[in-house]
Amino acid sequence: MSFALNEVEALAKRASRGAGYSWGLAEEAAKATRWLCARHLDGCAALGALLEANLAESLRDHMPVAIGKNWQGATLLCPLSTGATLSDFAVQVVRNSAVLEDVIQPTLILPFVAYAARQTATCLVVTCGGTEATTDGFFLNISKPFPKHAAKLTVRAHGTVSGQPPLASRASPAPEVWATLNRFAHRTYAPATEQSRMLGAGAGLSDND
Amino acid sequence: MAELRAPDDVMRLSRLGSFHQCRLSFMRQLTRRMAAENWQFSRPVFEIDDKGVGHAVYTAKGPEHAYSLVVFAHDLPPEMRSDRVIATAWDSTFTLFDGVPSADDIKRLSKNVPLQEAGRVSEREISVSRANRSVRLWEHFVDALSQGRQPDADKLASVGYLMRTTAVYGSGKLGAADREVIANRPEMQSPFQAEMLSVYLTRWFVRDLVEHMARTRGGDKAVPLDPELALQLGIGNSTGLGMAPYIVNHPVLFNNWVAARENAILRVRNVVTATPEEIAQFHELWERSRLLVSRWHSEHSLQIEKLAQLRQDLEVLESHLADNDLSGEYPWDTLLTWSAGALGEEGQEMLASLVLEPYGDLVDALGSDMSDSNSDAFIIDGAMSIGQLQEQIRTSFGWALDLDWDAHQNCARAWYVSEEKLEPRLGERFEEPIADYEQPLAPARDAAAAFADLSKWDDAAPIADFLMKHPEHRHTIRRAQIAVKAPYGELRSNTISSDVMPIDMLRAKLSFFGAIHFDPRSDRWVRICMYYGAPYPQDLSPANADLWVYPERVS
Repeated sequence: MSFALNEVEALAKRASRGAGYSWGLAEEAAKATRWLCARHLDGCAALGALLEANLAESLRDHMPVAIGKNWQGATLLCPLSTGATLSDFAVQVVRNSAVLEDVIQPTLILPFVAYAARQTATCLVVTCGGTEATTDGFFLNISKPFPKHAAKLTVRAHGTVSGQPPLASRASPAPEVWATLNRFAHRTYAPATEQSRMLGAGAGLSDND
Repeated sequence: MAELRAPDDVMRLSRLGSFHQCRLSFMRQLTRRMAAENWQFSRPVFEIDDKGVGHAVYTAKGPEHAYSLVVFAHDLPPEMRSDRVIATAWDSTFTLFDGVPSADDIKRLSKNVPLQEAGRVSEREISVSRANRSVRLWEHFVDALSQGRQPDADKLASVGYLMRTTAVYGSGKLGAADREVIANRPEMQSPFQAEMLSVYLTRWFVRDLVEHMARTRGGDKAVPLDPELALQLGIGNSTGLGMAPYIVNHPVLFNNWVAARENAILRVRNVVTATPEEIAQFHELWERSRLLVSRWHSEHSLQIEKLAQLRQDLEVLESHLADNDLSGEYPWDTLLTWSAGALGEEGQEMLASLVLEPYGDLVDALGSDMSDSNSDAFIIDGAMSIGQLQEQIRTSFGWALDLDWDAHQNCARAWYVSEEKLEPRLGERFEEPIADYEQPLAPARDAAAAFADLSKWDDAAPIADFLMKHPEHRHTIRRAQIAVKAPYGELRSNTISSDVMPIDMLRAKLSFFGAIHFDPRSDRWVRICMYYGAPYPQDLSPANADLWVYPERVS
């Protein structure tokens, strides 16, 4: 089934929140997923797999401990919190390059690299397990999909982007991926109670007037 | 020179909840454009049976694109008639199709649109909506017309519409086209133009349907609806909490709406002298506004009180205008400055909208600044210093920093989404198990919390350092940076206090649509009227496309 990208973004936000991310990072996850889908990459699958990895509960262990040449966490790096940090330190990343170690679902890093590129008006190249992706913030050239895990991922200022196919306006995630996102999103919905049903919306149940 | 009104004054919910429609309202932008571009309207399909069940198609054709309202009419048992999101059936269901639908399109839509949230539409559809009848008025209309009589004008005036929409979904909802797909078309550039078009065509359908049902019942005895009465029929809308979070969740967009109106007011304040024609037009529309207000009824105690204040304001303004002929320098600035000390917020905001009317040339172009095309606003500038960030929080939320956020009355409520059809709700934090499900709709409380943590850091450090240690404040830091470019983007009221009035948030949004006759049904639910007095599509012309919202006294 094909979904509007607004639907993708809305579900990704709720799912990420349901998986335990703060609202701010859930917003990042939502925009990142949409950004990838618009560029014909399966952002929903990457996000679903990340949420299954259950990193949000111990997020501090999955964020880089310091910003130097090498970015390392206590353990596996979360691409959302690491990506957000990378975008926040855009100037340093462009100036010094960044080497990220042990990143899960590295595809999800790409939108944040794009933000860094946009903020600094610089083309950035991401290298990951023999695959290279280049972005100027809007366009993305990528030779083949990123692996599910990157032992090492580098970001550096380099290259140029060539034209790319028009942005996608729909996404067609696999049904099981969509179901995974819905399962996490469901955690953000309050169970229905009679009190909530009667009072919470502020209207009655019949309108025969 | 006058200055823009400060966000601290404008963005309080009591004032936003007193906003009135104006030249920039989305309905009026749409009808002006359609008339200027000579849009053509047709009804290629009307296959509705004697029970009122079937489908119809209404097409509006502009210079480059056509849009069709595809209608499904149903026979709804009364026990299923609910305006709530949790309803599962309606009197009529609609979709706005991009172009002219084929028979196959209609077949596909017939299996989905009547189901609303439980169905799926495609990128060929732009909006999905539904409407319920006003039961008493509907029966009165069908009965009267079927017997060859016109319906009672007073009964009509007491309700104002035969059907009210209970949701109009756009922007990718239920699988429809994303806003981005249509945003670059000139006619869709201003906000909510597709939704406004859908409602405009719905009004035409409702008139056709009531006449059809009267003919079915009365045969040769039946008469069509008097065109003068038809003009008095708007389309109702029943809106609940689902709309309230919108203005919090879209700070750039909402800023652009408010900023456009504030800039319009400023441009008119800076008019040095008013011509006799401009003064005459103001007086004419002032009289017609009074008529409009006289037809505004509500049974809700809050609105009864506000209407009493507004009517008092109108008396005060009337005697002020009798003594002041607007012939001096800066007449509008003088008038609005006076109103700030002499009128209530309802009266002040009505007047602020009214003074824009003679100045379409100064004001209308601002309508094209009301959409949100700044996707970069989302990206956090990590290099901003903590000191600057704190300053920005102080600008938007200075009023909230010293509030005791642990006191129950200041955080009594929580916004949440129910698993029951995902209906948005507002609950009592200390009485219901909802806090774990709270939506991020208390920006003031969150700003105060972030501010407290920021205060422990060196002012000169970049915000990126802070966010590495405090990812939980990311949402708030982003909003604070957005507010630099969107000063009217943050409410200056507590959205979770024990006395928050969600209807103020609803009215703020609906006033920009161009809605009138706000009639709250509770503190979080409001009925309104749209397109009251508007010409029907086939009669639309540049002469009547704009000022229809102001009724003319029937002689």
